[in-house]
Amino acid sequence: MDRTNSISSKEAAFLHVTNPQNNGIHLEMQGTNCRQPQESNITGLRSPDSGENSDGKWASRLLIECATAMSEKDSTKIHHLLWMLNELASPYGDCDQKLAFYFLQSLFCKATDSGQRCYKTLISVAEKSHSFDSVRKLILKFQEVSPWTTFGHVASNGAMLEALEGENKLHIIDISNTLCTQWPTLLEALATRNDETPHLKLTVVVTTSIVESVMKEITPRMEKFARLMGVPFEFRVMNGLNFLGELTKDSLGVQDDEAIAVNCIGALKRVDVEERRAFIQMIQSLRPKVVTVVEEEADFSSSRNDFVKCFEECLRFYTIYFDMLEESFAPTSNERLMLERECSRSIVSVLACDDEVDHGGDSERRERGSQWSVKLREAFVPVRYSDDVVDDVNALLRRYRTGWSLVLPAGADDVGLYLTWKEEPVVWASVWKP
Amino acid sequence: MTEEVISTGSTKNQVSGSYPQPAVKKKRSLPGNPDPEADVIALSPKTLMATNRFLCEICGKGFQRDQNLQLHRRGHNLPWKLKQRSSKEVRKRVYVCPEKGCVHHHPSRALGDLTGIKKHFCRKHGEKKWKCEKCSKRYAVQSDWKAHSKTCGTKEYKCECGTIFSRRDSFVTHRAYCDALAEETARVKAASHVENHAGHVNYQFSLGPNMGQHFSSIFEPISCNSQKINDPMTRGISLWNMSKQTPLSQETLCKNLQEMHQMGISVSSLGAIYSCTDPLFNPCPSNPPAPTTTYQLNWDFAKSLNSSKAADDQLSCNSLPLNNINVKDVGNHQLAGSVPSLFSTQHQSHHQSSAANMSATALLQKAAQIGATTTDPSLVGNFGLKCTEIPVQNAVTTGLGSDFSAFNQLQMYPSMRHHIQNQDNIREGETRDFLGVGIQSICHPSSINGWI
Repeated sequence: MDRTNSISSKEAAFLHVTNPQNNGIHLEMQGTNCRQPQESNITGLRSPDSGENSDGKWASRLLIECATAMSEKDSTKIHHLLWMLNELASPYGDCDQKLAFYFLQSLFCKATDSGQRCYKTLISVAEKSHSFDSVRKLILKFQEVSPWTTFGHVASNGAMLEALEGENKLHIIDISNTLCTQWPTLLEALATRNDETPHLKLTVVVTTSIVESVMKEITPRMEKFARLMGVPFEFRVMNGLNFLGELTKDSLGVQDDEAIAVNCIGALKRVDVEERRAFIQMIQSLRPKVVTVVEEEADFSSSRNDFVKCFEECLRFYTIYFDMLEESFAPTSNERLMLERECSRSIVSVLACDDEVDHGGDSERRERGSQWSVKLREAFVPVRYSDDVVDDVNALLRRYRTGWSLVLPAGADDVGLYLTWKEEPVVWASVWKP
Repeated sequence: MTEEVISTGSTKNQVSGSYPQPAVKKKRSLPGNPDPEADVIALSPKTLMATNRFLCEICGKGFQRDQNLQLHRRGHNLPWKLKQRSSKEVRKRVYVCPEKGCVHHHPSRALGDLTGIKKHFCRKHGEKKWKCEKCSKRYAVQSDWKAHSKTCGTKEYKCECGTIFSRRDSFVTHRAYCDALAEETARVKAASHVENHAGHVNYQFSLGPNMGQHFSSIFEPISCNSQKINDPMTRGISLWNMSKQTPLSQETLCKNLQEMHQMGISVSSLGAIYSCTDPLFNPCPSNPPAPTTTYQLNWDFAKSLNSSKAADDQLSCNSLPLNNINVKDVGNHQLAGSVPSLFSTQHQSHHQSSAANMSATALLQKAAQIGATTTDPSLVGNFGLKCTEIPVQNAVTTGLGSDFSAFNQLQMYPSMRHHIQNQDNIREGETRDFLGVGIQSICHPSSINGWI
């Protein structure tokens, strides 16, 4: 069968699939016709006319089809689409193939009700495959090629330094997932201040075991670095928490004479949805001078009862993320592969795990900046970023490849800064005070 | 700031005294310690901020000083005249800052230079109108901004490990995580820990400043192409051929390893010292395969374990060796720091067995003596067990390569080596066991000999 026919029959497959009149037989026949172009896809090479419909975005179409079929419980369709996705997907191919691969995994888990098991497996695989060296290399490389994380760091550090100006005893409570890469530049800034270098106590809160083991390596390094910078420094890692929701004021050991800053980078989304307000209250009880909040801009939480909607949002977000990764790293980058793999856990967690059932990890239900603002306003007041900090962030973005920009929020009520990739807001950073 | 202003009656410059100093540069005292005999002038902020009072009639260009204007006029073929300094003595002038609350507001802290006081006023109390495009740093004084712009972005930062950065922020972050950073303060902790160790630990190396130097000299050129490490290290490597691994020694090894970890020295960088050519242990960031391969070894290690310990203990133990070790406190830093220096300093005092192995033996024994005693049996005692069971299956296929990888395992636990010697059991004629952990099957005799 020549290719054109295959394509059109594949197209036809789509059309047939959406028509509830069709029974399985037709679909099977169409399926076999599709085999040819798909085989070339499996090798990871993009052949010009295989699977290439008008805009080439076959992955999102198929995936959403499948998600819809799942919500409609159309098992024939589900099977067929899963099969097709399986044929087309690959973690080593182009963005479409990768998205297909990782989302297929969660669709499959959802269909077979094995999300929790899959998540646990993914966690243990990650634990085994990560060492301090690999993780360190990964995050440093990522920060070198993409401002995804450094954006939040620069904005938060700048805001913190301004808010803590003049204080002698600083206590920063760090609830983040960036393995202390935020702090060397802050330590340097503290050391090069004109006036006296303040004493800094840094308490790092960790939950996942991967980070726990890495922190053991990071502790001496941070201490050594602070010594070299000449900053009086005290470093403490708080582990032993199963969930961020368990964090309490008492366990943090804050003292009255300290100027407290709470740094939440990707932290709020890790708290179970129902416990988020309480968590924010807990932060308030620490009486911080400043709270910096950085979150990825996506909404996996308001739609959590609507599978298709949640699926679409998840797909939208990770499409941008994968695209960003592809353009930021070299084509054969190991690091990019590892970062993509990291996504599989969050995708499975969001799409295939039932929140009520404990899957032994942090939540991954992101919310948009505007949603977080509503919650944060209950306890705090937003702070505008100063011009200096905005300039610093702009200067940071200039150091990376094009495609990135900084956007100040539009509405009068909107808070914070957005990092955008190809005009799409991807990371939100904000500052709050009591 | 001109030197002459500062070096007046100020006591700071009485350095030379009566005896000849070897070409000591006159120290500048703090700015704002003026000649008590000088006139104190208080200019208004307007005057201070005013720039370019001297204007060229032809092109309108402004200059801060008359001399500069005169020189400029030459370019217009205009008559120019440089005023000579009047021969009669001129009273020295010093300037105070008009800003109340500024440290230079008081006459006793006046600045001696007109340009200086102008710049000071702008910098400290003025608006920062000049901004660098590249890094958005702000300056009040234009000349500061210009000077910065010239070098901004052009500066390259080089880490001790050899990597070069064009961005300061990535440089700073990298440095904090880089293992090549010399650890000078280790010896401070080292000194404090000496007393804690009794028994057969023999502190023959000096714990003073020399140690630090030894230490850092060992560690500094950690990049794989360092030559100076090779010599003692190669001998060090051969040490590993000695004696059988015992569980006790494993504990020592693990404990020392833990100490080294606490020192902030990654095990992989230790590996680099001992096997500079081994790509598996290249800590240089530019070498992608390293972590993965190292990890693979860990993973294989884990797979091979059949100990009764819980699965996650195994795994955590292996992917990050010190996971289940009680992390000792600061006091333990010392000996870890001492480990590398062993290999360069310890040859002399210990004599053992056959002459052929003299240097290697001596080294190892010295290492053992210096190495930490094992006082904590709980310390990865199990780990020790695991160490004996390394049937390293790994990616490296050559004989030597596989030795290396097995080697790597042991490298992670250098204290093992110390204790091997500690046992004082250099058995001659024993099969050269690279790891000393009973993995004789792996070792390729010929390649091992190549090491000795």
